[in-house]
Amino acid sequence: MELGFSFWITLLFIAIMMGVLQGTCAYLILAERKISAWAQDRLGPNRVGPWGLLQPIADGIKFLLKEDIIPNHVDKLFYLLAPCITVGTALLAFAVVPFGPTTPPPVLVDYRQNPPQTAWPQTIEEEKAILDADHKHAEQTNDKTYEEKLKEYNDTIQFVIAPHVDIGIVFNFAIGSLAVYGVLLGGWSSNDKYSMLGGLRSSAQLISYEIPMGLSVLGVLAVTGSLNLETIIDYQVKHGWNVLYQPLAALLFITSVFAECNRLPFDLPEAEQELVGGYHTEYSAMKFALFFLGEYTHMITTSFLVAIMFFGGWQLLPGIAMPDGVGGAILKLIVFAIKMALFIIFFMLIRWTLPRFRFDQLMGLSWKVLLPLALVNVVCVIVIKQLHLSDWLLLPLSIATLFIVAGFALYMPQQRPRAPVRVAGHVASGLPAVLHDEAVID
Amino acid sequence: MPIAENEVKWVTVPKAGLLEQLYLPAIFQGLQTTVRHATKTLFGGGAVTQQFPEVEPKLPPNYRGVHRLNRDEQGRVKCVACYMCSTACPAHCIDIVAAPSPWPDREKYPETFVIDELRCIYCGMCEQACPVDAIELTTLYDLSGFSREALMFDKEKLLSVFDETVKAGTDPIRTRSGRLSVASELPADTGLTSSSSAQS
Amino acid sequence: MATVYVNGKPVDIGNEKLNLIQAAQKAGVLIPHYCWHPALTVVASCRMCLVEVGERKPDGSITMQPKVVPACQTPAKDGTVIVTNSNKAKFAQEQTLEDLLLNHPLDCPVCDKAGECLLQDYTFNFGRAQSRMIDEKNTPPNKPYIGNNVTLFTDRCIMCSRCVRFTREISGTAELQIINRGHHSEIDIFPGEPLNNKLATNVVDLCPVGALCSKDFLYKQRVWNLKTRESVCADCSTGCSIWLDGNKSIVYRLRPRYNPQAQGHFMCDDGRLGYHYVNSIERFLQPMVRRDGKLTPLPWTEILPTIRQAFQSVAQKDAAGVVGVLSPFLTCEEAYLIAKFLKKLSGQVRLALGPVPILGADDTYPKDRRGRPIQPVKFTIRAEKCPNRRGVEEILRYFQGEIISFEQVVHDAAEGRVQAMYLAAGYPPRPGGWISETQAQMLQHIPLIVCHDLLPSPVSNFAHYVLPGASWAEKEGTFVNHAGLAQAIHWGVVPTGQIRTDGQVFLDLLERRGLLHAPTLRKELAAEVPYFAALARGDLGEYGIPLNDERSA
Repeated sequence: MELGFSFWITLLFIAIMMGVLQGTCAYLILAERKISAWAQDRLGPNRVGPWGLLQPIADGIKFLLKEDIIPNHVDKLFYLLAPCITVGTALLAFAVVPFGPTTPPPVLVDYRQNPPQTAWPQTIEEEKAILDADHKHAEQTNDKTYEEKLKEYNDTIQFVIAPHVDIGIVFNFAIGSLAVYGVLLGGWSSNDKYSMLGGLRSSAQLISYEIPMGLSVLGVLAVTGSLNLETIIDYQVKHGWNVLYQPLAALLFITSVFAECNRLPFDLPEAEQELVGGYHTEYSAMKFALFFLGEYTHMITTSFLVAIMFFGGWQLLPGIAMPDGVGGAILKLIVFAIKMALFIIFFMLIRWTLPRFRFDQLMGLSWKVLLPLALVNVVCVIVIKQLHLSDWLLLPLSIATLFIVAGFALYMPQQRPRAPVRVAGHVASGLPAVLHDEAVID
Repeated sequence: MPIAENEVKWVTVPKAGLLEQLYLPAIFQGLQTTVRHATKTLFGGGAVTQQFPEVEPKLPPNYRGVHRLNRDEQGRVKCVACYMCSTACPAHCIDIVAAPSPWPDREKYPETFVIDELRCIYCGMCEQACPVDAIELTTLYDLSGFSREALMFDKEKLLSVFDETVKAGTDPIRTRSGRLSVASELPADTGLTSSSSAQS
Repeated sequence: MATVYVNGKPVDIGNEKLNLIQAAQKAGVLIPHYCWHPALTVVASCRMCLVEVGERKPDGSITMQPKVVPACQTPAKDGTVIVTNSNKAKFAQEQTLEDLLLNHPLDCPVCDKAGECLLQDYTFNFGRAQSRMIDEKNTPPNKPYIGNNVTLFTDRCIMCSRCVRFTREISGTAELQIINRGHHSEIDIFPGEPLNNKLATNVVDLCPVGALCSKDFLYKQRVWNLKTRESVCADCSTGCSIWLDGNKSIVYRLRPRYNPQAQGHFMCDDGRLGYHYVNSIERFLQPMVRRDGKLTPLPWTEILPTIRQAFQSVAQKDAAGVVGVLSPFLTCEEAYLIAKFLKKLSGQVRLALGPVPILGADDTYPKDRRGRPIQPVKFTIRAEKCPNRRGVEEILRYFQGEIISFEQVVHDAAEGRVQAMYLAAGYPPRPGGWISETQAQMLQHIPLIVCHDLLPSPVSNFAHYVLPGASWAEKEGTFVNHAGLAQAIHWGVVPTGQIRTDGQVFLDLLERRGLLHAPTLRKELAAEVPYFAALARGDLGEYGIPLNDERSA
């Protein structure tokens, strides 16, 4: 089989996307600061350039020119490796994420069987036999052969760095979860307790939230029948957005993504008030900037993923046919970019809406709430698929699941941690407030 | 002062309903508030930011900024070097060297009077402690220097702060004690009453 | 056995002759007083100590006197009833204080006494908060010169006359008197006869308010900034107990501390004002070694092993040529340690007593108007101007049985029989210096001289090693005065620069570990040297411990 991609076009894409990503990251920091300011009735950075638009450039120059401090007490190798891993994995994860118009890759069908099935040839002979059958079928039906379809697919520009990766979403998760090494190594090699705590929290958090995230996506995959992100978009274009079928899965996925990106309300690894800077306390200058870059790249990737998995990718609205051709491609690019931007703005607004979780609450949310919900969701999808029922049944099922779990949480007899509380009427006036240990909040 | 018990209002934690237990409505309500503020600031110009170097902030008259040493009517330093300010100072930033005064109407005056403006925490306790209203905190807030030494304000510098602020009219003398000084002064409204504590 | 009843509480006063203030003190009750002082005659002029007094009859009934009486001139006898907290007594105290404050300028912020002023304390505890004075206050002009060391703020005076009585009864010189009458009374001197006797500055301590102030301490520090330690004056062999008032590394003043075994209530001006060398900027601040004729600093960690080694090698060749000179300004512990170090080199090492400064003859007070001493003697300033000759002599006697004089050592040195000399000097700078130029000349050819001193001297100009010494205000230890009274001194200020206390240096030379701890060393000393056996507890108490001298006994 020939290469599934054109080398030069891919190189071009990589170059463009690296530039665009880093520029976007820089301006995302500005956007973050601006939105933070607006949410707090402030103006935000407005000194460098008009409306502070040159601020990211000033920041970048500052990061580059700052003294690069490596403290004496760090483990140098891992200390330097950590930011590289963070940025590297974030960029690598982006390789399979479509960011513009794509078409689904052709599927090799085995026409020797009745009814025809998707083929997974194990040997060259078997592949040959299947292709022969495919040729015959093409002649009979006047359709294109698989090879012709594949050539056509490869000749079309796919707006994804590595097209035709059948394990797209799995690759994404695999690489994405490597990011925890960056955080963990950064925290450990810094050899200071705040960094260490940040790193430990981070590893626990990332591992915990990957489970509900993966499970929530499982439902989507079962419905679309593919791990390939281009195919998933194509499925949604044809059948309607996944968020309409599985709002619960979408909710779980978005929540988990917040935790994966270390965004508030789940930013415990770098909780400034508790841990100074968390795992990057000891980092300065460009190494610190690399952590930032990785974090924001991660945010962009996950925003794209949310759009792809649940919100129809480059489709403007469900049920609307997007035009083809160059104009259509540009339109799709813009739609995709807008969706991504909306999710990022949502990320930033949530930051100023919800307070940070306590660590036990964070873990509780993941293991006691998100995980069961995701499991129930997967079971629902599997049952419906198995019984060949309408996908639309999933919508009421999702909502019902949500309410049932909420009701369960509400009426389940609870063992709450004993917290001190002041009992009314027991304290003489004029005395300072006394805490009575025996009372329990309820 | 602890809060008096009768001022405390006791409420019971309201029971959450099914919808509230989802937490989603509350999150959306919070989001609404965030968005309202963000959009209002963005489009309605509701920002409270003061553009500092261009717009001077309006400070209350009891703002605690850079110190000054007041002058008396004859332009001499009012301070009598009693060390009350340096004794009251929690940051130990005031250093005084006293000497017999060259003037006949008082016995002691500060030969040197140095405040370390970097060490100072601007609590204003020196002003409260001063028995002759000689030290006051002004509304000057934009203090900067190129060296630590430059921010060790000596007597001349502190007096020049007085001259400047009085000329600018920003800081009128705000503390004033009476004829006999505070300790021996009867509160004005009680009048001259004979001692009753001994008989009681 | 007499029993008095203070505020209803019976107190046994034994057979002592006490007035009511002292009797109440035994019961832990303070009767405020200004004019009364235990060392002075009673005048009962301030009226501050007015109390209700009565008598408890043997049948248990109590008859009170109708009027309040001054406690200071009422003797306590069996059955006396003192009431200080009745309305009547309290009213009397309040009225007295208001009267005393009528003309008081209330210039506490600029008054040096503020913080240790009895007028402040009593007003706070017994007085009223507000003045009813509506007229102009009587402010007589200050008298900045009534003596070389004392200044008078006339308007602050409350006419207790303690100072007047002191000059008449203790110093006998009678310079001070009260002039004018009534509210116009003032303290003053006879024209042309200033208050310049050698006990003059004691009136500053006696003054209960800030009227008499020491010119030496005037406006130097507020008293609440001073850290006060118990110590002993090092200026003569009387060994006056003192309070050492210092802050950080500066000594600000010395005040006499009552010690019936040493000197009583007072101290002389020579001692009181003789501390300034402690703050001198000319003191040695770091250990130095002479290289190419110039003194160059060398850290303690290097210089001490070098010195130890140098002495060891000399002692191996010519032990009798090694001489240690122990000045009478060393504490007993220090003398013990350096003697131990040198004797450890070899038993033949010779220890000599440093020069003992003698200035004139013993000076006794009171004197009459013509300056002739009169009996009975109430205060003695010794001619021997060093604190610890007795102690150092006893150490020397223990270690080598005899005391070699400094003159002998100088004589030997001139004849070239001294190969190494350790001068543990620590002398204060006094007129003439502790060593004359000619004596120094004779020492010049000694191959190894360690000069351990406070200030430059003729010897330090050619000594091979110069170690900075600590003054008595900076170290801990024991001084033994002329009468054999061992008193503890405590460090009051921190030595500046790299100065280590002499005892610490000797410990380091001995290669003993740890920091100098005087009580521990004192116990060691008491166990080893029989003369000091009485110090075995380590703690010498407030008044010190008299050492029994078997030879004189």
